[in-house]
Amino acid sequence: MNAPTASATMTAPTSAKRPAGTLLRACLACARMEFRAALTYRTAYLSSFAMMLLQIWLLTVVWKALYDGRAEVDGLSLTTMTAYATLTTLQYQLVSPWRSSPIDQRVREGKVAVDLLRPVGFPAQMLSGQLGWASAAVPVLLVALPFALLIGAGRAPASAAAGFAYPVALIGALLVNQLLGLLLGMVSFWTLEVSGALMAYRFVAQFFSGALVPLWFMPGPVRAAAEWLPFQATAYTPAAVYLGRVEGLGIIAALGVQLAWICALGALAAFVWSRARRRVMSQGG
Amino acid sequence: MPVIEVADLVKEFSRPTRQEGRFAGLRTLLTREQTVKRAVDGVNFTVRQGEMVGYLGPNGAGKSTTIKMLTGILVPTSGTVTVAGATPWRDRSRNARRIGVVFGQRSQLWWDLPLRDSLWLISRLYDVPEARFRERQRQFSEVLDLGPFLDTPVRQLSLGQRMRGDLAAAMLYDPDILYLDEPTVGLDVIAKERIRTFVGELNRASGTTVVLTTHDLDDVEELCDRIILIDHGRVAYDGAVDELKTRYAPHRELVVQTDRLESVEGAEVVRREDGKVWLRFDPVRTPPAELVAAVLARHRVTDLSIVEPELESVIHRIYADRG
Ligand SMILES: Nc1ncnc2c1ncn2[C@@H]1O[C@H](COP(=O)(O)OP(=O)(O)O)[C@@H](O)[C@H]1O
Ligand SMILES: [Mg+2]
Repeated sequence: MNAPTASATMTAPTSAKRPAGTLLRACLACARMEFRAALTYRTAYLSSFAMMLLQIWLLTVVWKALYDGRAEVDGLSLTTMTAYATLTTLQYQLVSPWRSSPIDQRVREGKVAVDLLRPVGFPAQMLSGQLGWASAAVPVLLVALPFALLIGAGRAPASAAAGFAYPVALIGALLVNQLLGLLLGMVSFWTLEVSGALMAYRFVAQFFSGALVPLWFMPGPVRAAAEWLPFQATAYTPAAVYLGRVEGLGIIAALGVQLAWICALGALAAFVWSRARRRVMSQGG
Repeated sequence: MPVIEVADLVKEFSRPTRQEGRFAGLRTLLTREQTVKRAVDGVNFTVRQGEMVGYLGPNGAGKSTTIKMLTGILVPTSGTVTVAGATPWRDRSRNARRIGVVFGQRSQLWWDLPLRDSLWLISRLYDVPEARFRERQRQFSEVLDLGPFLDTPVRQLSLGQRMRGDLAAAMLYDPDILYLDEPTVGLDVIAKERIRTFVGELNRASGTTVVLTTHDLDDVEELCDRIILIDHGRVAYDGAVDELKTRYAPHRELVVQTDRLESVEGAEVVRREDGKVWLRFDPVRTPPAELVAAVLARHRVTDLSIVEPELESVIHRIYADRG
């Protein structure tokens, strides 16, 4: 009936625990797939690029008008302000609450069943995919940067320390944002009526991240709320580090807050997933 | 030694009871009453290594639900499943590497990207060594003829091409067991034939165990020695295809082209048309050779053939009998 020799050679090695190295390779592969997938949406990609350049230019014009000839407002120079606006606009390509998680779509299309079959955990697949998708913005940023400098909207980092801390803060921002997205995406395991809530979330997240108005211009109570929410870690923190609004120990503290959010959101995501998984596996994907 | 063991498997789905009358939608949302649907109702069977089993039944019989429990996507309400010594939904990662799964209705390929990319990603997810991956890809390109569309985005593939891609994806990491849930649904005859040839060859060459759900009986007649017939979540029949026919359709028909034929001993005339006569007989009581000899001895016959019962009509009768 069956050829034992043939079946023996066909048997793949089955180890219960997989070494961390191969898990990382698998996650990187997920990220690379989504990176490529993001690039296939060329028109969306190019138009977002054009919109960004336009936005940077408009922001420099708007802030200049708002400053109305004054060199400083609340101890803040116009160049710092335009640089902040430019920086947050650029960062926003990479760290944005708009394309946060593919989960709701995968639930709707019934693809979660397939995801559950993989030897890699579902949250790990989704998170690496999300990071890959987001990093498709990097080429755009590399092209936009010289443009920003050219129209005088950019500025060098405030100090060497700021220059080194900035990439770390940016990665922190990316992780906080993607964990928030993962959590939100998992809500679709309970209800597919997420689009309204998602819209509200995006506006709240964008506002409190400081991407529109820097935290230092927010009125007292609003600012206090922003500081206690995770969103500021996604936009304000890296920009403030870059521009030297926080310095020395302040940088360490800001990165520490990001790390704390990453841990807290990571733990929450693991908890929510354990509930979601139980639900999917008893109700059907 | 059985590679798959299923014992007293039950799956119930519960959802809020649909309310009637005024504000039905809102009341359905708020109700605590649950309607329970028993999709799988006490199923038992075992599958040996290298077997090809057809899991057959009408729509809604519980085929997909069973497959989902075998693969570990769903946890049963009660009962046990053991696949190669492990419980699929507990020992997920180990189970994942042993099984290949193809759902006819939902692809595991990445829509926006070329088929080639999907295969590459799957090789990484299952850590297939680079050299082995290239070898597998070459093999599949040959036997499934993937070459012409390896670089086409999956969304642009025809259904038949997509199914071939899905089969390659499911077998890329050399699993011992292949689950196919309606693999030929919606395909044209040629595409169906291609899939069947591939699966049959896989089983012969590598001893892959195949569990195939379908409501296309040609899949089963061509591929499977054994079928498990399921109806309303219960096993209605489990055994060889031939035995099913002898048990539920014991009669054969002898079709004779002849001038005049009133009756023959050991057979019953069931139909006459265009100078042909259909004689129904039970091959156990009346051996076909004797019947043919008896007919030829007394009549001038220009043509003659024996008709086997079709699996389809057999299964219709089983479902009809069960009500
Ligand atoms: N997730 C689910 N929730 C509620 N009922 C379900 C679910 N999945 C399947 N069912 C029901 O269970 C029965 C069996 O379904 P299924 O296993 O898909 O049948 P088949 O694959 O044989 O057509 C059907 O009546 C179907 O409506
Ligand atoms: Mg089905």
